[in-house]
Amino acid sequence: MEVSLRVLPVDPVDRGTQRIRLGPGLMSSLGLRLGCPVLVALSGGSCLCSAWPRPDLADGFIQIDMKCCSPNLITKTVTPTYLTLSTHPGPTSSPLPHSPTSASPSLSITPVSCPKLKAIRVTVVVQCVEFRKTTSSSFIHELVKDMLKGMHVYNKHVIDVVDYDTDIKLIVIESLNPDSLEAGLVTSKTGVEIMGTRTLRHYRGQLEEQPRCPLGGLEEVSACLRELLRLPLLYPSTLCSLGLSCPRGVLLVGPPGVGKTLLVRRLVREVGASLVTVRGAEVVGSRPGESEERLRAVFGQARAAAEEGPCVLFLDELDSLCPRRTGSSAPENRLVAQLLTLMDGVDQSQRFLIVGATNQPESLDPALRRPGRFDREVVIGAPTVQQRFSILSLLCQAMPVCASVDLAELAKRTTGYVGADLSALCREAAMLAIQGNTQSSLEQVITMDHFTSALKMVLPSCLRSSVGQTDCPAVSWEQIGGLEEVKLKLQQSIEWPMRYPEAFLRLGLSRPRGVLLYGPPGCAKTTLVRAAATSSHCSFLSVSGADLYSPYVGDSEKTLAQLFRQARACAPSILFLDEVDSLIGSRSEGNAPQSAQTRLLSVLLNELDGVGFRTLERRGTEQMLQAEGVVEPHQQEQLEYHQVCNKEVMIVAATNRPESLDSALLRPGRLDQVIYVPPPDLQARVSILQVCTQRMPVDGDVSLEELAGCTENYSGADLENLCKEAALLTLQEDSMEASSIKHQYFLQALQRMTPSLSVQQLQTYKQLFR
Amino acid sequence: MSKSTLLSLEQVLKTCFQSLETNQKVWNSVLLECTPLMGSLGNLGEQLRAFQKVKIANSPLHTFPDLHERLHFKLVQAVDIVLGKLTDKMCSLQQVRDAISNQVSRAFQLYEQNVDTLDLTTVTQRSAITPSIADMLEWLQDSEHYYRQQFLRRKNLFQTLRSDDVSLLETVSQRWESLGSPSGEERLSDIQHKVSFFVESQ
Repeated sequence: MEVSLRVLPVDPVDRGTQRIRLGPGLMSSLGLRLGCPVLVALSGGSCLCSAWPRPDLADGFIQIDMKCCSPNLITKTVTPTYLTLSTHPGPTSSPLPHSPTSASPSLSITPVSCPKLKAIRVTVVVQCVEFRKTTSSSFIHELVKDMLKGMHVYNKHVIDVVDYDTDIKLIVIESLNPDSLEAGLVTSKTGVEIMGTRTLRHYRGQLEEQPRCPLGGLEEVSACLRELLRLPLLYPSTLCSLGLSCPRGVLLVGPPGVGKTLLVRRLVREVGASLVTVRGAEVVGSRPGESEERLRAVFGQARAAAEEGPCVLFLDELDSLCPRRTGSSAPENRLVAQLLTLMDGVDQSQRFLIVGATNQPESLDPALRRPGRFDREVVIGAPTVQQRFSILSLLCQAMPVCASVDLAELAKRTTGYVGADLSALCREAAMLAIQGNTQSSLEQVITMDHFTSALKMVLPSCLRSSVGQTDCPAVSWEQIGGLEEVKLKLQQSIEWPMRYPEAFLRLGLSRPRGVLLYGPPGCAKTTLVRAAATSSHCSFLSVSGADLYSPYVGDSEKTLAQLFRQARACAPSILFLDEVDSLIGSRSEGNAPQSAQTRLLSVLLNELDGVGFRTLERRGTEQMLQAEGVVEPHQQEQLEYHQVCNKEVMIVAATNRPESLDSALLRPGRLDQVIYVPPPDLQARVSILQVCTQRMPVDGDVSLEELAGCTENYSGADLENLCKEAALLTLQEDSMEASSIKHQYFLQALQRMTPSLSVQQLQTYKQLFR
Repeated sequence: MSKSTLLSLEQVLKTCFQSLETNQKVWNSVLLECTPLMGSLGNLGEQLRAFQKVKIANSPLHTFPDLHERLHFKLVQAVDIVLGKLTDKMCSLQQVRDAISNQVSRAFQLYEQNVDTLDLTTVTQRSAITPSIADMLEWLQDSEHYYRQQFLRRKNLFQTLRSDDVSLLETVSQRWESLGSPSGEERLSDIQHKVSFFVESQ
């Protein structure tokens, strides 16, 4: 039989008496006598109480004083309004109709025998550290003994002694003597042994159950950090005997969303340290001196926590807390100075580690970044292919993902996505799956289609504010007629290195750094690049003069450098510079030596083969491919090839005035692959016309070959225009209901047009680079 | 059978409540005696504070040798004497607490021994002049809890007193007063009133 009991708050007079108030009917049905110790099992834990009838002798209510309960009930404050008590746990019982019990959490009350205890061991939880220091241990012992006298205690339970109004807040029962007992009565003859004292903050911090957060792809960084955390925190004496000073500060640097904060939280929990978090903005106050005061308080808090055990002081968004000091009287300067002195004031005996996290290390005060303050800087870059793969596999563990989803492929296609982007991607895919399935109550499975549509919605956050971010329509190679030779060359230099890195490595080929496409206007140079970007699935950044030029001196150069930095952050990527001649120009052409174009050129040359990356752009660890070693699964191996070989930015430039380019740009190692995109020849024109007329209803008598023959020196754009003209003529001459385009209209259109290319022009193109 | 045990239990409860009443009087009188002692502790705290501020070398008294040390010794000695007196008072408070605890546990023991003959209906039966056994046991437990709590609080304050912590000495009298719980005392007198008919019956 099941009884539904309404939960009432505890009467003030019952507080601290360990009583559970039940109706007399229920008590006699359970066979309980007055003051009989019972173990009350609730959904979150259990508590030990003594049974008492309600003073008004009414049934159907329950009041529980949780003086002695299991640790996880201490933090839980919400109690349900109804509890279901199953008195006879038999299979025949069925819930009553129209009772509110069906959804209410269950409860069970079992009497326990409480013999007198010989001894118990307890841990005392006190309000603050001062109490422990100022009060003698014998007095604490006396207090604890007085508090526990006459109580029924249960092994591993926590006893709430707040109502005694002393600094002792909780008493944790660690073990009972005799060992065989689970519960017992503490008498004046019971020996009490205090195992240790801890502060309330520390104890609660340990109890708090944080949600498990998956962390993928950060193994190397976390191993490095873990070592830093563990060595000084857990083995301080060993380090002391070696005469080493342990590192006290670690600075985490990386773009937003790579998981810096998450990493710290997780590691702290793994090591079992307590965490004191400071967010930059929380500390800053409005009154002068307030910010410094708060900062000092936080350090004091960390110091107090460090006395309990290992502690990490985490300064999140350090750049807002500690910006570069400028001028003489800015209020931030004082805050920075306070932080510096506080960090210097931490001596070796105080075992806490300071971890800072920022995504703008260059805006930090340089004084902060010297050894002794932040001893070590750990750079977490945007994740590489392998890291993305491991992040994705972690994220997808909890989701019902269809077996057809190829995570390795997904990892390859998500260049430039950081961990936060990837989790947004998975969430979006799951949302799509839910939307698709709401009508049918089928099993919810996320398929690859959901992921591909989510990919269009979630863009990598590191490209979000980039100048070069373009949303180019997907173009396939088939949509470009003719130019087979050029296509092949482009595929060789762009698509193959991305797709088959292992083959390139096997033959010792290195991929070209840059490709220059030149040729007469209208010959599909831009479209070719689009097709290449589509087929290679890498991030595609395109930039034109309008994006770069600005009225401020140095601004354009900065933008270009920034563009390269972003492209590198999401490598492999293609950076497309359209109309590069107008963008950059040449130094020899009599331009003023300090013009914006010249400066842009120098930036471009530097970025193309500079001395090296900046440290901040480091991604993953340097990996070398080794011929021998353990045999890895094929997929894994491929990912590794990808990661090692494709970490560079491919520059693709297009121009129709190659002669005006600076010669330094064209030397091998920069734009080393120079591809001439010729005007279409006869065969190519036929295929262009075929592509253009694919959607047009063309009459049977139209001969594309004949048309191609008459269109010498026509560019691809001209031919497309021709088809449009013919279609318009059809509508004009016949009627709006015309269903097909006749050959004569093509010829008429042809008569009206002149080719945009001239023989002379083509000759000059041919003579270049020969 | 159950009648006789009930009677004996009631008898024990009666004596229990009677001794509770007398003990309460003792407790209150001891507390009353403590109040002037606490006041003098507060005075001594103020004197110590003033002593810390004064610079004897600047005053005409600097001719007396070792005046500073002597004065300090005298004050600390005075504090110690008051603290010694208070220790005696604490001892008598503890005696009261122990007496009450013993009484109450005796009553409970008797109930435990006869628990088989006293079923729940008997125990919860009450009349206009006689409260039920359950109620009375509960009240006994509550009173005992109250005295234990009071004693622990006062002892805790007493233990933290030291002659070098001047600010604590200054405020000790207010703190001592604030430890008392009016609601608890009210409940105690409430209980006394509730059982008065029962206690007075033959």
